[in-house]
Amino acid sequence: MQCGWLQSGPQLWLSCVHRQVMVKAQGEEHRGWLLTVDPVSRSVVLLDLRAEGASVRVVMGHAVEHVEVLQEADQETLERIRSFFVPQETLSLDP
Amino acid sequence: SIPTSAGADTEQLLEEQHARSVLRERFLRCLLAMSNKKVHFRMHEKVNVEATFGASDIDVLNFQVSDLHTPIGVQKEALIRCHDVISLTFEV
Amino acid sequence: SNRSSAAPPSDRPGERRAAEMKKLYGKDAAKILAMEAAMQLTFDRNCDRKQPKYWPVIPLKL
Repeated sequence: MQCGWLQSGPQLWLSCVHRQVMVKAQGEEHRGWLLTVDPVSRSVVLLDLRAEGASVRVVMGHAVEHVEVLQEADQETLERIRSFFVPQETLSLDP
Repeated sequence: SIPTSAGADTEQLLEEQHARSVLRERFLRCLLAMSNKKVHFRMHEKVNVEATFGASDIDVLNFQVSDLHTPIGVQKEALIRCHDVISLTFEV
Repeated sequence: SNRSSAAPPSDRPGERRAAEMKKLYGKDAAKILAMEAAMQLTFDRNCDRKQPKYWPVIPLKL
């Protein structure tokens, strides 16, 4: 694992939640809206929004090679992201 | 040590603990949301399988699954080593 | 079985783990510990009941 982002720790990861990221793992590239990074396994969880429905992708921490933050979500996207997972903690995240 | 820097260290520690627990809780909720869902696993050596997700151990070392569709047939109950997995997806 | 055997009482793994959790998660430690315990219990119970075997038998990646 040679990724600075993954070494950077929970505070930076939390600040990237709900942003669009690109994750490189074992020759695959996955784009999605960041739902969380597990602080134990460093697995990255992405939400892939489609016109109808959505899917969640968990990229296992050991396979992650690179993470790049692409963009912030606009208000509409943010609301869609939040509608899928609504733990109370979402409310205490900084906008 | 100087009180002010100790205070700043404490604040820094509290923020880090908060961030870690928010992230961990979200991850655990995500694992819980997967139970009984059909999950697609992309594994090493270009192995792709589908199974009904059961549960994960908390150290994320093993996934317990049912109705695992392997390239050579269906295994009713199985454990998948997380280290064999690159990524997994499910519909929400 | 995947269940770990009962640890010797002198080891106090529960207390040690609680202290580690407190260091990592601060005031939320109890909540995270409870969620993890529930999840691990489900995993252990499913493994006891269903006796799943590893697939593949040999790890793809060591």
